[in-house]
Amino acid sequence: MRVTVAEENRTGRVVDLREFETPADLDVSAVVGAIRAAESARPFVIDCPEPGPAHEHVGVIRAGMELSLRPALAAAARTRGRSAPQDEDLAAVRDRLDALDPPEIDLRAARRRVAETSDAADEMRERVAALRGRVQALREADGDSEAAESDLAEATRELSEVETERIAAEQALARARERATESRERRRERLRLEDRAANLRREVREYLAGAVREAFEEARESVPASAGESVSAALAVARVADLDAPVVVASGVVGSVTAASDADSFGSVEELSAWLDAGVVTV
Amino acid sequence: MLLVVTYSQAARQTLRNVCNGHDETVVQRFGRAALLEATELGAFLALRLRAKHAGDVQVERTAAFNEFEEAPDAVRDAASAYEDREHSSTPYAKFAVGTDHPTPDAMRGTDLSGDADRRG
Repeated sequence: MRVTVAEENRTGRVVDLREFETPADLDVSAVVGAIRAAESARPFVIDCPEPGPAHEHVGVIRAGMELSLRPALAAAARTRGRSAPQDEDLAAVRDRLDALDPPEIDLRAARRRVAETSDAADEMRERVAALRGRVQALREADGDSEAAESDLAEATRELSEVETERIAAEQALARARERATESRERRRERLRLEDRAANLRREVREYLAGAVREAFEEARESVPASAGESVSAALAVARVADLDAPVVVASGVVGSVTAASDADSFGSVEELSAWLDAGVVTV
Repeated sequence: MLLVVTYSQAARQTLRNVCNGHDETVVQRFGRAALLEATELGAFLALRLRAKHAGDVQVERTAAFNEFEEAPDAVRDAASAYEDREHSSTPYAKFAVGTDHPTPDAMRGTDLSGDADRRG
């Protein structure tokens, strides 16, 4: 790899960022960002091969880091060219999921129209009943019911109109509900496939992690105990994986695994890099 | 009651969260569906889910089923007669042959009367 800070270049398997003459204010995430970004911004550039899938799990190693071991091991197994018996099923399920495209469901407008036309019809029905009562009363009292009768005729005509609208609205909603049922069938199928894909992904992870578990356990045993649990595991995964890009190792971790006092010590960052079979950037 | 059915992983998760937070309004939970009480809070929770997940949330209002109002005598009689059948292995379609009991096809093609199909 080649690391550039300002105008200063360093190349090699192991680069210690603290040794640059103008050490930029670089934290671990900025460094790993420069490794992963296709194009990194000057003045800080790391020129190195593209990181493989395991890099996102163990590309950065620092004290107290969190590591999801099984996914990390599965990714490591992939970099070693391992595949899982469920791969094909999973790909088929994903294809089916991509092909499923349930139509939009939005019955809101149709529901609102039913409610509104139904209210309007109720109102008009009450008006017709009231007018009918008035006409009746006027007739019984031998009064002049002509105006009331004309109002009644008008209201009756309007009632028939709003009733027609209400019926049309209900039919439209019923049709929309039928279309929604079809879309929901597809949504249910999509949910079933998503659950199936999630199960397969779990099985794949389990299988792949199992495929490199032994190599991982062996590697972990040779990490100095002082490294701590998550760092030991991450270093062991990094050794098992084919990382391509360099690993960013916090200086504290380098200190603990290269300490001369420890019998299992790697002794030097170069030794650590050789053991990992990967470049190391120390921050 | 309000029946809320979800159709995506995200909607199902929100339903779970809603149910966990509102035990008193949840009448019954079933996987990706739940029955909520027919209260304004029940409606609020159902509508919140629909606002968040749109077509992936279905809300229906359920009604109590009174077979004496909504199911014809023939259907009620057929159900009790079939339950009393001599051989438990006899399927209903076969059982109904040569009796006055309705066939499955006849029942399938006939909607219930009344408000039994009230949905929204």
